[in-house]
Amino acid sequence: MLLSFLTFYFPIQQSLEEVMKTWIKSARTIAWSLATALTIGTAPAQAQDVFKIGYIYPSPAGDVGWAHELDRGRLAIEEKFGDKVESVVVENIPEGPDAARIMNQMAAQGVDMMMLGSFGYMNDGLKTAKRYSDIDFIHASGYKLLDNLGNFQTRNYEAAYVAGMGAGFVTETNTIGMVAAYAIPEVVGLINAFTLGAQATNADISVKVVWLNSWFDPSKAQESARSLMAQQSDVIFSIYQDTPSVVSVAEEEGVYVVNTSSDMKQYASNQLLVSLQISWADYFIEQVQASMDDTFVGSAFWGGMADNAVSMASWSDDLSAEQRATLDSTVARISSGEFHPFQGPVIDQAGDEKIAEGDTLADGDLLAISWLVKGVETQLPK
Amino acid sequence: MLDSVIFLLASTLAAATPLLFAAVGEAVVEKTGVLNLSIEGMMAIGAATGFVVATLSGSYVQGFAMAAIASALLSAVFAGLVLTFLANQVAAGLAIGILGLGLSVLIGKEFEGTTIIPLQDLDLGTLSELPFIGPVLFSHDVMVYVGMATVIVCWWVLSHTRLGLIIRAVGESPSAAATIGYPVLLIRLLAIVFGGAMAGLGGAYLTLAYTPLWAEGLVAGRGWIVVALVVFGMWRPLRIAIGAYLFGAVSLLELFIQGQGYAIPSQLMSAMPYIITITVLAVISRNPRLIRLNHPASLGQTYNKSA
Repeated sequence: MLLSFLTFYFPIQQSLEEVMKTWIKSARTIAWSLATALTIGTAPAQAQDVFKIGYIYPSPAGDVGWAHELDRGRLAIEEKFGDKVESVVVENIPEGPDAARIMNQMAAQGVDMMMLGSFGYMNDGLKTAKRYSDIDFIHASGYKLLDNLGNFQTRNYEAAYVAGMGAGFVTETNTIGMVAAYAIPEVVGLINAFTLGAQATNADISVKVVWLNSWFDPSKAQESARSLMAQQSDVIFSIYQDTPSVVSVAEEEGVYVVNTSSDMKQYASNQLLVSLQISWADYFIEQVQASMDDTFVGSAFWGGMADNAVSMASWSDDLSAEQRATLDSTVARISSGEFHPFQGPVIDQAGDEKIAEGDTLADGDLLAISWLVKGVETQLPK
Repeated sequence: MLDSVIFLLASTLAAATPLLFAAVGEAVVEKTGVLNLSIEGMMAIGAATGFVVATLSGSYVQGFAMAAIASALLSAVFAGLVLTFLANQVAAGLAIGILGLGLSVLIGKEFEGTTIIPLQDLDLGTLSELPFIGPVLFSHDVMVYVGMATVIVCWWVLSHTRLGLIIRAVGESPSAAATIGYPVLLIRLLAIVFGGAMAGLGGAYLTLAYTPLWAEGLVAGRGWIVVALVVFGMWRPLRIAIGAYLFGAVSLLELFIQGQGYAIPSQLMSAMPYIITITVLAVISRNPRLIRLNHPASLGQTYNKSA
């Protein structure tokens, strides 16, 4: 589109598209060859019996966010296995051909196991795993499995429900604002769980959602949060924002905020209600151990509170001891399997009963959830 | 309701400011006949440099100044390519833009995901306390007003001064301008560097005032909006400013309407700022004679002094 726009408006003599394509291509190739040469090439040579693990992250590991949590998993492995493992980390790899090249390069470097840190690596990961059957793969949030390719996800909705309960306690306007990227099932599930939790402690809750329709635009996320605050939201749920954009604006405006993936207390020391912390340590260590013992079988891991994969981090001090006790006991009941956040009766926006009294939502339905619960004012984008 | 209107109008000024700086700078560059498509990269460089410098020094002035200098340097590289080596302007602009995005990641690497205290709003005394007008117009940080002033100065210079005439002459017909003794390449170089510095200020406004944090890709396509604003604003600073404010207003309105829960598809809402801005600018500039008058005749063409 941009190309046609340019050729239309600007009188340029040569075959513009050709020139541009060649430039972009060569610039990218040079940049990525350099990047891989620098990151992989500088890994020190080591003895044969060291277990070598390759990690591919979609973004820089940074201080908070998705890649940071993956990296904490790596550190846990290194702490557990010490000299027995060696890490090769490549960060900030876009999904697509570059990822495939890095995977092949890692395989050629002789890694024993590979951790693929993004959904979009799935198809390339699948191809690479078929080609190198002696390497074990674990892949974040995918759904395809092989004998040597497993995948992992977290049950963030469990923590979202408990955080929602906390929000129900602290809200004075009974309005919760949510900043979300796209209406994929994972996000829709979080919105529902949070809303149900809030309704459990405060019957009058209404929820407004702003869909960013963009995976990454901190300015837009921040503006959305401000706009939700202008519409009376006094608790903001920041869903899968890897930067502290929403959290810091909430701190500035004196509004409670809940965020996902990492603990963001440092960015909102007064206003952070709680963070939904994910942790891969146990799962990663288990998989590495299995791969070392040659007992690795690719499986789907959907870890929740019971697996220490999801937890509540940095509750606000503004909650009373009584309220904390209620929240903690809910965490305990979810961990023990006694309670499920999606427990019937649950009514959707249209007023239809989606989960009957006494039932809970099956995992399969939860993975494909495409309706919002009653109390959410915003419609799903169709 | 009034609160919401105030919020929307007040935020619009801030949302449009980064676009304003970069677009007015680019308009001046294009008026001399040079098409610089590296805005996105230059804004990113400005955003990263400004953030890093302001974080380390604690001074916003230094942050903005270094941001302008860093982007100006990058645009000087672009100038070298297109003015000295007669490189294709589009290709060179894109390449420099990609380079700028990459360099911004490098500059900001140690600061990825960190925050900063935003540039504070000015206290204009009683003016800021006026009902409605106070919060909408007189409760902003200084760069919002600097941005407005830049637009007016650029408009005045381009349309009412001898310098403006020279700039336009160079853009209309560089060989004619050279024949009567104007240093075409020098004027183009200065314009490109000025445009770079403006894009740098726009980028720095993003990280120091608007979204006070650094993260890779923070500019998120605003540099391309700028290029479109310049074209649809007919290379006229005042129209470009209308476009920038309109774009800012509609992009905020989108988020606001979503929060209200109206059943409009959010994908359509997200496309609204682009559709409305382009439509409005196209309508107010639809006179074909006006287009011919304003479009710099030599835009995008390399100029060879010896030819």
